[in-house]
Amino acid sequence: MDLRIAWLYPDLMSTYGDRGNIIVLERRLVWRRIKSVIKKISINSSSEELEGVDLIFMGGAQDRQQEIVNRDLQKDKGKIIKKLINQEVPGLFICGAYQFMGKYYRAADGTIIPGLGLFDIETVSPGLKAKRLIGNIIVEPSFQFSVFSFQIVGFENHGGRTYLGKNVKPFATVVKGYGNNGEDKTEGVVYKNAIGTYLHGPILPKNPELADWLIGKALERKYRKRVSLGKLNDQLEEKAREFVINKL
Amino acid sequence: MALIIILSKLILYIGRFLKLGSGSTWPGEIALSLDKDFLKKTFQKNKLKTILIAGTNGKTTTASLIKFFLEKKGLKVIHNREGANLLNGAASTIIKYSDFNGRLRYDVAIFEVDENTLPLIVKEFAPTAVVLNNLFRDQLDRYGEVNTIALKWQKALKNLKNTKFFINADDPLLYYISRSFSGKVSYFGLDRDLMIGKEISHDVDSIYCPSCGKKLRYTKIAFSHLGEFRCPGCSIQSPKNLFSLKNIQTNLQGKYNLYNINASCLLVEELFSLPEIFIKKNLLDFLPVFGRQEKLVYRNRKITLLLGKNPAGFNQAIDVVLNQSKKVSLLLVLNDRVPDGRDVSWIWDVDFEKVTNLPIFVSGDRCYDMALRLKYCLDRPNQNYFSTFENLNVSINQLIDTTENEEIFILATYSAMLEVRRILLGRRLL
Repeated sequence: MDLRIAWLYPDLMSTYGDRGNIIVLERRLVWRRIKSVIKKISINSSSEELEGVDLIFMGGAQDRQQEIVNRDLQKDKGKIIKKLINQEVPGLFICGAYQFMGKYYRAADGTIIPGLGLFDIETVSPGLKAKRLIGNIIVEPSFQFSVFSFQIVGFENHGGRTYLGKNVKPFATVVKGYGNNGEDKTEGVVYKNAIGTYLHGPILPKNPELADWLIGKALERKYRKRVSLGKLNDQLEEKAREFVINKL
Repeated sequence: MALIIILSKLILYIGRFLKLGSGSTWPGEIALSLDKDFLKKTFQKNKLKTILIAGTNGKTTTASLIKFFLEKKGLKVIHNREGANLLNGAASTIIKYSDFNGRLRYDVAIFEVDENTLPLIVKEFAPTAVVLNNLFRDQLDRYGEVNTIALKWQKALKNLKNTKFFINADDPLLYYISRSFSGKVSYFGLDRDLMIGKEISHDVDSIYCPSCGKKLRYTKIAFSHLGEFRCPGCSIQSPKNLFSLKNIQTNLQGKYNLYNINASCLLVEELFSLPEIFIKKNLLDFLPVFGRQEKLVYRNRKITLLLGKNPAGFNQAIDVVLNQSKKVSLLLVLNDRVPDGRDVSWIWDVDFEKVTNLPIFVSGDRCYDMALRLKYCLDRPNQNYFSTFENLNVSINQLIDTTENEEIFILATYSAMLEVRRILLGRRLL
């Protein structure tokens, strides 16, 4: 078995250690002797390179980089990503990437920056004077992830407030922290097998069950059969996660 | 004004007597709350040269080098205490060194300032000189984004027409903003013959042209995003008239220190007319400062301390460790207190894969996060390969007990470094 993972714009969308998510996915596959190919897709990549991938990942970035990426996404690559996600390819979109996949981002001056429209969400800038939502965060994953008996921990750092539409469910419920907007206790979004979230940390190292969920879904979809992944020793991950939970 | 100084000094002495900390920030805090123009008035009243050093990494070493050379020439220099790089730190330094008449009998004041403080402090007084070292991602939860900082700096500095600027031209973002400065700008960089890298590594921020957004082309790279660059889309490219010393002989290791040396040498040559021969002769006497390749002896073992607070800094520290000719064992200490940055995600941007063949110990508040990072460097999930200790004291002593002749390197974040030094030196120092 092998997996092809698309890592979108690693040179631009990698500001907050999010490459750790790719490292975790790749290692957890290697440790199970499953081959993986990480395809780095950037501005100069042709959109064809996205065809046939089994898992999609995109990290967060600074505003300027996000502008550059947005322009590129609005061309062919965005269409292919939407097609793949709608075909149930699993995906993980962090922070700025999460916002992009939504309908739009409304800037402080009212300008609407269109997103890909994949997720039924919208993000609004609360104005330059409003505080950023920053800090360690603990969330309880939603029902479809109830295979997890653990809470999920991470670190959020975002100005934008995201609101979910009627057609999508949140990724998780906030236990401690702000989440999507600091108001409705939702965090992130789930659409088919794609997850959008504000959690840095990065999210996968301390929450390996989520990494295995993404890997499992990708393998099942590709090989059209139930896949049971060999269990790995995640004691260290649990210790690290416990530490953050106790801190809060 | 003198009254405020006297009052603050008294409070400082009382505080020291009662052992209420080092007084490196709160006397200044008091002075500024009593008179918000305290800094402004200080430099109206006292005619001394003022030098501000800003940048993500290298401020302390650069400032220390400048002070070192100037003192060798017989000048009297003040420099703000370790970590006190906010406005209250600058003010506290002034209070500490002012006499009871409120006079600063010194020739030069050097202030290291943090990224947010630079725009604030130049509102209080126009400095004689400003050094901009580099801009790397650091504590994004505190400082925000690199581009935002650069633009704030540009806005704050461009109209200082009487200030002399010393800019690292190998940093495209800093080079770009300096082009709009009205004051005199001089550029320093790394000797091109020492730039061996060709590929952009992961801990990189500004590789896109700050002017037109196209991807920059590098003919040579020093490390991270520092190098000789050219934009294929517009006229932005490395300047030709760039200062860099050849054949530098120094106790400081690492390419990053060559930048610090070039910055300080350029400044003392231009501002104080110190000749290159004088600089080169004295450079070998300069020893590493607090936590920056500082060498200490503890239980008869030689220990080198390396401070790292962001991916660029840690990657450079790792290169120093790898360049040792003797066998090395390594202690990594990761904290997430305010001075370290509360978000530890950045450790995943550090290339720890390079050190996994060394004996490694891990400690600090976030030791398990660091251990996780190391675990994910391995081909097999062997988490017993390195030892994790929540207790720093235990980790240091275990490291010494279980390794024999290796040279010990301790890589730590800021607050962890303070604790490491406290243990190694056996007393409260700051």
